[in-house]
Amino acid sequence: MSRPAHLPPLNKSGHVAHCNRCLAGLPASLVEMDSSRMAIAYYCLGTLDLTGLIDQKITVTDRDSWREWIWEQQAGGLYGTGFRPSPVTGTENRNQNIPAEYTDYSTPHLIMTYCALLSLAILRDDFARLDRPGLLKFIRSCQDIDGSFSTTPGASDGDLRLTYCAFAISSLLQDWSGINVDNAFAYVKNCRTYEGGYGQTPFGEAIGGPTYCALASLHLAPPGAPVPFSSTERKQTERWLLHTQDATGGFSGRTNKLADACYCFWCSAALDIIGGKSLINTAAMAAFLADCQYKFGGISKAPGEHPDPYHTYLSSAALAIAGLDTEDASWGLQPLDTLINSTVPTLQWAKGHLAAHV
Amino acid sequence: MAPVDIADSVPYSERPEWSDLTPVAQYENIQPLAPIFYNPDYKDATDYFRGVVKTGELSPRVLDLTETIIRLNPAHYSAWQYRYQTLIATKSSLADELILTNELTRIYLKTYQVWHHRRLLLTLLNDPLPELPFIEEILKVDVKNYHTWSYRQWLLAHYNREDMWVQELPLVERLLEEDVRNNSAWHHRFFVVFERGGADGEDTVRQELAFVKEKIALAPNNLSAWNYLRGILDHKHLPYSTQADFTKLYVVSSIALNEESVVDLENPRPSKGAQLPSAAAIEFLADVYEAEGESGLSKAVELWRSLADEHDTIRKKYWEYRIREATVAAPD
Ligand SMILES: [Zn+2]
Repeated sequence: MSRPAHLPPLNKSGHVAHCNRCLAGLPASLVEMDSSRMAIAYYCLGTLDLTGLIDQKITVTDRDSWREWIWEQQAGGLYGTGFRPSPVTGTENRNQNIPAEYTDYSTPHLIMTYCALLSLAILRDDFARLDRPGLLKFIRSCQDIDGSFSTTPGASDGDLRLTYCAFAISSLLQDWSGINVDNAFAYVKNCRTYEGGYGQTPFGEAIGGPTYCALASLHLAPPGAPVPFSSTERKQTERWLLHTQDATGGFSGRTNKLADACYCFWCSAALDIIGGKSLINTAAMAAFLADCQYKFGGISKAPGEHPDPYHTYLSSAALAIAGLDTEDASWGLQPLDTLINSTVPTLQWAKGHLAAHV
Repeated sequence: MAPVDIADSVPYSERPEWSDLTPVAQYENIQPLAPIFYNPDYKDATDYFRGVVKTGELSPRVLDLTETIIRLNPAHYSAWQYRYQTLIATKSSLADELILTNELTRIYLKTYQVWHHRRLLLTLLNDPLPELPFIEEILKVDVKNYHTWSYRQWLLAHYNREDMWVQELPLVERLLEEDVRNNSAWHHRFFVVFERGGADGEDTVRQELAFVKEKIALAPNNLSAWNYLRGILDHKHLPYSTQADFTKLYVVSSIALNEESVVDLENPRPSKGAQLPSAAAIEFLADVYEAEGESGLSKAVELWRSLADEHDTIRKKYWEYRIREATVAAPD
C-alpha cells in the first residue's frame, strides 16, 4: 500500500463538531432538507460513529431523546410499517411505543427507513419497538412490477437507491420475504450501461452512486439469487470505476466530470465490493479529501466549497474503507462494512438485534 | 394560475378565506434530531397543509397552498402528491399545470419531485412531442443535468415514436459540437442508436465507427469517445483488433506522424496540435495485443508499463495489475 506524502491531519474533532452542530439545528436556508431529515441524522451520527468519538461527544440524554425522536417517525398503516423523514408530513405520534397511523400523504419512506434503522443501531437501541412484520409488508408494498422499488408505496418513482435500501434492510432483518429477488435483479441489470457502470434508472448514464447501489444489492442478495454478472462484465466495471479517479486524486462519478468527494466513497466502495480495492490510488484520494476539509470542520464536495453532513460522512467512509497506512493517528477510523455502509461494530449490533428471533 | 409572490403574500393564518380551516402545528419531541429553524411563512403554510391533509379537502385553494409550499421547499414530496390528487379531483387544466411546471422545472432542475410531477402530467396529457424542444432548452441551463437526461430517456422509451427518435441524433451532434467531452451526450447517442429505436445493422455500425473516430481525431484524450468506441465493439461482438490500425496513429508522439501519408478515411489522423500519445489509445492497443495471446503479450506489457510509469501514473497500480494478470495467465 502506498504511503501518502505530506498529508495534513484529518480534523476529526472538527468534523464531529460540524455534525453535532447540524444535529442541534439547521438554518432556514436548508428547508429543502425537511423531507430528508432522517438522512441528515444518519450522516451526522454515522460520522460520529466512524471517528470512534460518539461516546465522548454526545451525552446519554441526547442519545435517549434522539432515539425517542426516531421512534416517533415509525408509522404504520395499509401498506405496512416504516419510518418517515420527520414529522413534517405526519400526524403527531405521542406514543413512541406503537407506530403512528398514517394517511396516504404521510406514508413511510424507504430511504428514510434504511437511515432510521442504521441511526438506531448507532445509538445502540434494542429495536424492541420495531414492527418487523409491518416493515416486511412495507418493503413488499414498495416493489413495482418492473422489479424496482418506490420511495413510498405506489409512487412509481423507483431507482437503484431504493433497490439498495430494500436489499440492505432485508439483509439486516435476515428475511427476504419482502422482495422478489429475481425481478429486482432484472431491474438492476436493465440499469447497466455500455461503459460498465450503472445508471440510476434504465437507459441512464453510468454514474458512481447507482453503481455502488447496484453492486451492493447484487452482493447482499441471499443464497440462490441469480449470478450478478459475468467475469468480463466485472472487468469492465472495474475498469470504468478506476477511470473515474482523475489527476486531482478525487473521483468524478461520471466520465469527464469534475471530481467530487462523495464519489470517492461511491466509486471506491463499489471497487471494494468487486474485489478491486487494492487497485485504487488511495494516497491520491486521501490527499484530495484532505483538501476538501473545511477549516472550521466538515468536508465539502470539492476544495474551497462549504461542507455538509453528506460529504462529511461519505468522505470519512471512503477513508475508512481505504485504511490508510500512515503514522499519523488522526487518520485512524473505525472499520466500515462496505455493503451495509455502517461501522462493523454497529452492523454487529444491528444484526444481533434485528435478525429474526426464533 | 398566477404565481404566488411569496415576499408580499399574506400568511394563511390571516386570510379570511382560510378561517374555516384549523391549522395543525408540527409536532416535535422535546429534543428533535436536526430540527430546521423554519421561516414563519413556511411554518404557516405547512401548518395549513397538515390541516388540509387531516380534513382530506381537495379544492382549488389547495392548489394555491401546495404551490406556496413547493416554492419554499420543492423537495416536499407530500405537497406534490397532494397537489397531483387535487388536480385530478378538481378536474383542473393540465395544460395550465404544465405551464407552471415548466417554470418550476427551470428553477428546481436538481429536485427529483419536479421531474416526477412532470412525468405524471405527461402520462395524462399524452402529448410528448413538445417536450423535446423544452428539454433541449432546459439542457442549456445545465447540459449534464442527470434528471433532465433521465427524463428525456424515459420519454423516448415510454412513447417509442419514430417522430421522436429522429430528433435525437441531431441533438447529440449539436451538443458534441459544443463540447466533444460531454459524456451525457455520448451516452444518449448509444442509447438512441443501439438500445432503442432503430436498426443497428452493418451500415449503422460503419457509420458510428466513422463518427466516433472522427471525434477521437479532434480530441484523442477524450475518454467518452473511446468508451463509445469500445461500447460499439462490445455490443456487436467485434474484435478490438479491427481498430488496431486506427489506434496505432494515436500511441505515438505527434512528431512521428508523416504528414505526407495518404488520407485514409477509415482511419482519420489526429488533428493538428492534438496532445499525443493518448493514454486511452495506449490502453486500447494493449487490449488488442493482450487478445492476441502469447505473441502479443510483450507488446501489451510494454504499453501498460508506459501507462504506469509515464502516461497515466494515477492508475499505476491498475496497470501493474494488468501486467501481472496477463503474465500469470500466459502459458510458459
Ligand atoms: Zn457530491
